[in-house]
Order: sequence, then C-alpha cells, then structure tokens
Amino acid sequence: MSAPPPAHAPLAPEAVDLRTRFAGLELQTPLLAASGCFAYGQQFAAFTDLRRLGGLVTKGISPAPRYGNPVPRICETAAGMLNSIGLENVGVDAFLADKLPFLRDLGVSVWVNFFGTDFPTYVECAERLSAGAGAGIDVLEMNISCPNIKHGGIEFGTVPEVAHRLTKACVEASSIPIVVKLSPNAGDIVGMAQAVKEAGAAGVSLINTITGMAIDVRRRRPRIATTYGGLSGPAIKPIALRMVHQVARALPDLPICGIGGVMSGEDALEFLMAGATTVQVGTALFAEPGAIVRITEELRALMGELGIADVVAAVGVLEAIPPEVPYVPA
Amino acid sequence: MSASTFSATVEARRTLGGGYFVLSLCADAPTPIAEATPGQFVMVRGAWGRDLLNPRAFSVLAFDDARRFSILAKVFGRGTARLAEAEPGDPMSVTGPLGRGFPAPREGRVQLLVAGGVGLPPLHLQARQAAAAGRPAAVEMLYGGRSRADLVLVDDLEGWGTPLALATEDGSVGARGRVTALLEERLAIARARGEAVEILACGPTPMLAAVRRIGLDAGVATFLCLEEQMACGFGVCLGCAVPVHGPRPYRYCCTDGPVFPAEEVRWP
Repeated sequence: MSAPPPAHAPLAPEAVDLRTRFAGLELQTPLLAASGCFAYGQQFAAFTDLRRLGGLVTKGISPAPRYGNPVPRICETAAGMLNSIGLENVGVDAFLADKLPFLRDLGVSVWVNFFGTDFPTYVECAERLSAGAGAGIDVLEMNISCPNIKHGGIEFGTVPEVAHRLTKACVEASSIPIVVKLSPNAGDIVGMAQAVKEAGAAGVSLINTITGMAIDVRRRRPRIATTYGGLSGPAIKPIALRMVHQVARALPDLPICGIGGVMSGEDALEFLMAGATTVQVGTALFAEPGAIVRITEELRALMGELGIADVVAAVGVLEAIPPEVPYVPA
Repeated sequence: MSASTFSATVEARRTLGGGYFVLSLCADAPTPIAEATPGQFVMVRGAWGRDLLNPRAFSVLAFDDARRFSILAKVFGRGTARLAEAEPGDPMSVTGPLGRGFPAPREGRVQLLVAGGVGLPPLHLQARQAAAAGRPAAVEMLYGGRSRADLVLVDDLEGWGTPLALATEDGSVGARGRVTALLEERLAIARARGEAVEILACGPTPMLAAVRRIGLDAGVATFLCLEEQMACGFGVCLGCAVPVHGPRPYRYCCTDGPVFPAEEVRWP
C-alpha cells in the first residue's frame, strides 16, 4: 500500500491562481476551446461569457474555402462520438476579414488552427495568416493530424522526418509561434514531438481524434459516409493522458496543450498533473456550450480542496507509485 | 438568435402507446421558449453522465408560457429510451428554441400539413396556432403512419376543428395506404377547384422525399422539416449538413433549417 500524498491545507477557491503561461504567452486560465468544437466563436456568445476562457482555438483554416464531406458526418458511440466533417472552413481571406476581429476583441488567447492539402499549401497558409493577422493571433496551431484528409495527410502526422520538414518550413514562414497538433495515430508520439520541437515548434497540442468506425448492422453500412472518422470524447481520455505523460517525461521543456475528453475540472487537473500546461475542451462544448466556464470553476474548487494554490505548480506533479516490498518466499 | 441554454425539470411524462410519449418540461427560469415558431427545436439532455454525450433534438410540440413546454418523442435509440424513463422532477438541460420554422399561414392559401408518425409536432403546433388565431381551416392535416398506434394526439386536432385526413399502411384507421396518396388526392381537388395551396411536411426521410417529388411535380410551394444527426444544434459541429442546390453544396439543418424549401434540397 502506497503512502498517502502529502497533506496540504485546503484553500478557498478565490485563493487559487489559475493564470498560466504557455510558450511565453500569458493566459488567464489554462482552459481553451478546442478546434472544430468552437467554430469561430460567434455562436457561443448567446450562451456563455467567452471572456472567461483562457483561450480558444478556431476551426482549421486552409488557404481556400472547403465545403466538407458528404452526410452522415457524425455518430455517437460509447462515451464519445465519431466525426468526419471534412475540414470545412471559410478559407484564410474570409477568416481574417470576417471572423478574426470578433475573436480578437474578446481579450483571450486566440489560437488559429490551420492546415494545407500538401506541403506548399501548408506553408502558404501559415504565411498568409501570419502576414494578415497583425497582432491578432497568438498561436498558429498546425494540424498535421486530421484523419479526414487525403493527399498524403497521414504522412505529415505519422512520419517524424516529414513532420520536421513541414514544421520547419511553416515556422520560417510565420512570425507567430507555431504549436503542432499531433496525431495519436502516430506510432511514436515522443519521436513526433521531438521532431517538431527540433524544427522550431513552440509547443505541441495532443491529442487529435483517433481514427475509428461504427457500423449499422441492419443496413450493413458504416454509420458515417466516409467509413472512418475521428473518435473524440471521454472514451479517448486515457489514451490522451498516456501520450501527454510520455511526451512530458521525455521532453520536459516542451510546452504541451492536453486534449481528449475533458468534461470536468478533475479531468483538466489530470492533464495538468500528467504534464500539460494548458488543456483544451472539445466535444463537451456540443452538449453544453457553457462547459468551459463550469470546468474552470470546478478546477478552481478542486485545486482549493487539494491545497494547490497555483495552476503552474500543478503541472507534471504526478508522483510514481512506490515499488512493492520485494517478495520473499516463506 | 433568441435561443438560450437552460435547466429544466420534468413535470410529466404521458405515454401514448407504440413507444410514443409526451414529455412536459418546466424551465427553472423564464426562457425564450414561447417565441418558438412551428419547426423550431430544442436540444434536450438528461443527467446522462459520460455514456450518452450529446443532447437529442426535438421539435417544440407546445408551450404554455416562458417556462412550460412539451416535446413528442418515440423510443428509437438509447437517448429516447432514456427519456422514455424520465420521471417528474428529473433535471434536463435544454438549449433552444433553435433553427428556422415553417412559414405562417397566408390569407387565401390553404396549408396542407403532411405528417408522418413522429414528425407530427411542428405541424401539430402549426394547427394549434391556426386554431388559436380563429382560423382552424387555414390548415388541413394529412396524417399517416404504419398503424393505429402511430397516429397520436389526434384528439387535439379534432378538438381544434382542424380539417383532418388519416392514413395507415395497415388500414387500421383512416385510408389504407400512405399519407402521400392522401396528398395527391387533395392536390387533385385543389387543382380542380383552382384553390391556392402550399405543402408543409415533416416525417421520415422517405416520406419527405416522396412529398418533395409530388410538390415539385405539381408546382406547389413545398416546405420540408428535415432531421439529421446533430451534436450541438447551433451551427458548430457541422454534422447536420443537408445537400442543397445553390452556390454551396451544403447548408445546415440546425441553423439554415430544419425547414427547407423542397426545391433547394439536393435529393434524387
């Protein structure tokens, strides 16, 4: 039996400091809205106070607009859902002109997720967002891991040498820090993180959805039109935590934004303890547009209960389970 | 958008047989629910933990005031099965009213309301509002289902004086056959009389596809209330794409619909 954790005196929730830093940026809380679950933010204004977010990550932006995949695009699965939206987005120009001003005015950290369909369009996208945004974008989150794209997209997210080359080219094309969103479908998550770090990435977001499938046996059809889709929600949280922990252990200087099935303040604290500095909330926003505000208050209360005064002090504090007393045969 | 997200409590669950039930909810505080137009919907989720993540979409069946409203559901999957077990006092989280509803009745033009099974609610509300405005015959309900058990809340329609024609596939009540046959007969009469009509339909997708074809062939304005898988209901998940004709290949059931003009929908 392991020893109980060291006792800390509980604190009032108001005494808990949630301010944090990520790759040199200051955030008022460690909680961000995840890409693809937040659109461009306007829809949420009717339901929640967006100024209370730590930050937000937009829908993935490509150089040209995209219309997305055939239907059905989503289906619910056990403790999660599959999606294959197809990276529908308004494109760089419309994003900068019509969507960014609203986000900039919120006063929270603005991360813009982006992608291309091949090497040159990735670099073009980073360059045009960087050149067009002025000071309005804090981070470009590079999506090298969406399962819903063809044209060699898989290699960007699974082969470290390819990810390195792509990251390096985008970092050189952009004056905005680039955080790379990694794919759990990569065989070696630490190798991928190492590769993008050496290419100049300011941090990594992990994980993106896990490729999955569901079948309607009565109709003998896949439940989504593209057959395979990205699995999200609480079902993937244990995998996400494991990957965050592995990367944090191997690369302690690399800022990590943890993602995967966060529904509560306790989920968020698990990611922080595993080694993430910030945490994204995704699928939970569909059912509950105000989820991040609730999770923020839950995190504050839980940290107070555990006597953790400062969110920065919670990062990576996971302690190992002590070894057993050696077995000696009687 | 006048929608809000709010907590509500189950006031009553009325079982109608055949898996159908009406859930009456009371919001904890005043909401914009009484501004709902027929066809607008709410996203409803119980305290389902982490198993069933997403809320389910339901057309608003009726509302009494800014707090009390009801939905009609049929047990279909896991979400509706959970709702069918809801008891008075159970908490629900609700977002709505969402989407764009049916056009209101216009003077000099009869609305033919074509309802199939659980697609009744928006058309039931349309008939209720026409009756409340003192013009019950501004609409006519053509209501079909597989069997007697699939035709629910008919008493309401009779009580309001809504002109009503029923059809069941097994002939257990009304005409034997599909509701689309009733529609074709009614359109023939309208044509013979030189009567101005339009079609408002809600029901299973094969029924809507048939209504669309009939309406387009007859040159009658036709509006379809569609159903698609949706996770959020307010234009974020982009799951509920509807194939359309026009400058873009898709529009969204939740924010552009759920009611679409028939000619816009890109179906065979």
